[in-house]
Amino acid sequence: MMRKGSTWGLILVLLVTLVSGCGSKDTPSSEKEGGEAKSVDTPKEKVQLSFWYGWTGPEAEALEKLIKKWNEANPDIQVKGLSQSDYQKQLTAITGGNPPDVASNFGSDVVPWGERGAMMPLDDYIQKDNVDLSDFVPAALSSSQSNGKTYAIPIAMHVSMLFYNKDLLEKAGFSGPPETMSQLKEYIAKLSVKEDGGKLQQLGLWPGVDAYTFSYAYGGSYYDADQKQVTPDNAGVKAAVEFGKGIWDQFGSKELDRFASGLGQYMSPQNPFFTGKYAMTIDGEWLPTFIKQYAPNLKYGIAPIPYDENNASLKDPGNVSTSVFYIPKGVKHPEESWKFLKWMAEPEQMAEFTAAIGNLPTRTSLQTHEIYKDVPGFQEFLQYSSSPNLHSFPATSFSTEYMTEFSNQYNAILRGDIGVDEGLKRVKDKIQALVK
Amino acid sequence: MRDSVSGKTSLRRKGWTRKEWHYFWLGLIFASPWIIGFLIFTVYPFFSSLYFSLTEYDLFNPPRWVGMDNYKAIMKDHNFYKSISNTLFMAFISVPVTLFSSLLIAMLLNFKVKGINYYRTIFYLPAVIPGVASALLWTWMLNPDFGLVNIFLRWAGLPDPAWLLDPQFTKPSLILMGLWGSGAGALIFLAALQGVPQTYYEAAEVDGANWWYRFWKITVPALSPIILFQLIMGLIGAFQIFTESYILAGGKAGGGNSLGGPAQSLLFYAVNLYQEAFINLKMGYASALAWILFIIVMLITLLVLKTSKRWVYYGGE
Repeated sequence: MMRKGSTWGLILVLLVTLVSGCGSKDTPSSEKEGGEAKSVDTPKEKVQLSFWYGWTGPEAEALEKLIKKWNEANPDIQVKGLSQSDYQKQLTAITGGNPPDVASNFGSDVVPWGERGAMMPLDDYIQKDNVDLSDFVPAALSSSQSNGKTYAIPIAMHVSMLFYNKDLLEKAGFSGPPETMSQLKEYIAKLSVKEDGGKLQQLGLWPGVDAYTFSYAYGGSYYDADQKQVTPDNAGVKAAVEFGKGIWDQFGSKELDRFASGLGQYMSPQNPFFTGKYAMTIDGEWLPTFIKQYAPNLKYGIAPIPYDENNASLKDPGNVSTSVFYIPKGVKHPEESWKFLKWMAEPEQMAEFTAAIGNLPTRTSLQTHEIYKDVPGFQEFLQYSSSPNLHSFPATSFSTEYMTEFSNQYNAILRGDIGVDEGLKRVKDKIQALVK
Repeated sequence: MRDSVSGKTSLRRKGWTRKEWHYFWLGLIFASPWIIGFLIFTVYPFFSSLYFSLTEYDLFNPPRWVGMDNYKAIMKDHNFYKSISNTLFMAFISVPVTLFSSLLIAMLLNFKVKGINYYRTIFYLPAVIPGVASALLWTWMLNPDFGLVNIFLRWAGLPDPAWLLDPQFTKPSLILMGLWGSGAGALIFLAALQGVPQTYYEAAEVDGANWWYRFWKITVPALSPIILFQLIMGLIGAFQIFTESYILAGGKAGGGNSLGGPAQSLLFYAVNLYQEAFINLKMGYASALAWILFIIVMLITLLVLKTSKRWVYYGGE
């Protein structure tokens, strides 16, 4: 027999545990003035730096090789690398007051974290050591900067281009890749093949592909910094969303879901582009390396992203994302951390690292470096990365939420749960409230 | 007992004896590891989350007092409503279904057949497997092309949906996964079933009651306290569902860095809360979300308890 009082007590305890479990967090971090560390470090003692990076496997090995090189040349500053691909742990370590001395992250996290004080601004060091920021690809660097401050150094970057299956295009009667957006539409219609029973067999291009790339093709932008207005509803973005919606509606959610669920893993010989299920795809500079490994017999070409034929000045558009190194706030040896970070971003090291992992360098001076000569597909990508129409998603303190909300609504629009205008307005309403 | 108490009535009035105080403190010392842990890891976060829910707090900067702003913003947030409706769906469909299936399994496992211990082990096994592992396992099971479930459905001539990609089927997929794990609940039911006196059944049988009648008039009332317990635990669990969605919906369909699966059909309350707290770094907002969840769960629990008076029978009453 349960007594009433004890039942209530038990339930209260259960519920209390529930709420505290959901809401628990680290205690507020004590305010640390990481930024203004003095450079009057008395006689050099041996310093140990910890370096957390997000790469694993062979890519991590390439990084460890560089760390070894540094350690041999700098006996007084020893660096210990740790492969740590869970970026949440970096946050926990920083708020807990025990951060790594140098860490890697995605470019899209830099400004949201930096503006909140999790990353040390590097401008004083950059100025003191005369780091030539003009050597960096503007779209790559801009993702690390906000309000006149630089929070991280982009070490590698990614650009998307159009990959096409030469055999399938030939079979459909095309002699080359599409160049304009209306050609792309035509290609997709012709390259999508249905079986007799109406089941989708082959798709010209997956319609859900990232709207960002196409927005830039239509001259769209996501944020007006002068007006402090988010602009997911501007004409270029809207055109890109409508483009995706147009392809989606040719087939419908049911058909596409079924088709998608039969597709193989991205990093495998069953990648739908490798098996000919996609005639075209929009992908990054690492894909040729994968093709060499998983589908060596595939005949493919790499072409610029199609542009809007009504606006030829927007040729060679593209979306840039980056990987960066930064110094967390609250590190004990900012001076030494910077020295190591700066060394890693020097042309020699950057070339060695990016070539090893098949990423693009962020320094324009490296775009003709011969180290990339043998990396498959890199000639096209290196050339493309100097296009003036490359953009990265505007770096602001709210960009993470902005991208999430945008992709949610884009998805809802594609699936017909909400109209284009209404969906984009929802994004605007929600995100504009976060602009300060 | 009674004698000694009545003998010390005068002392009682003044309070505890020395010896009683001594045991009290000794007990406290022995219990102190738990008490300290409870204070630090449960009571403190509980109240600090209440405080944070009234602030704007991003982990790095000191919290800034904003009063009820977070709560007001939540009321206008469409993700909040989406996550609430997804979660309620799970609570009101998945919980009763799972409850019923574990009761059924428990009754099956209560038969005295050869090798029953092995069956019991097999049915309990999924409960031991970590959520992440079973979620990964089910992504293969539910694959529309080569998954076991759809092979069977096709063989039986039934429609075979794209379980994890079609927003209409993502939640039923999770319910299916939950059924697989109902062995844990079955174990509790089984223990209770074995406590039901056989004499009731024998008497009913003599009176000519059929199986169904015995089930409704003996088994269910006898198990009702356990059903109540499992119902409340199940509801609390359903309101916190996270792992399955996080694993199944991680970066699928549509891309971007959003959690919640196709058309946000797996955006559960805890997933939304996680996203606000640890991806958008809005700890204050997330704390407010946690408090609203707390109030919702408390109200539902109260409601269940209130109605339970009508259908729960305690053996001692």
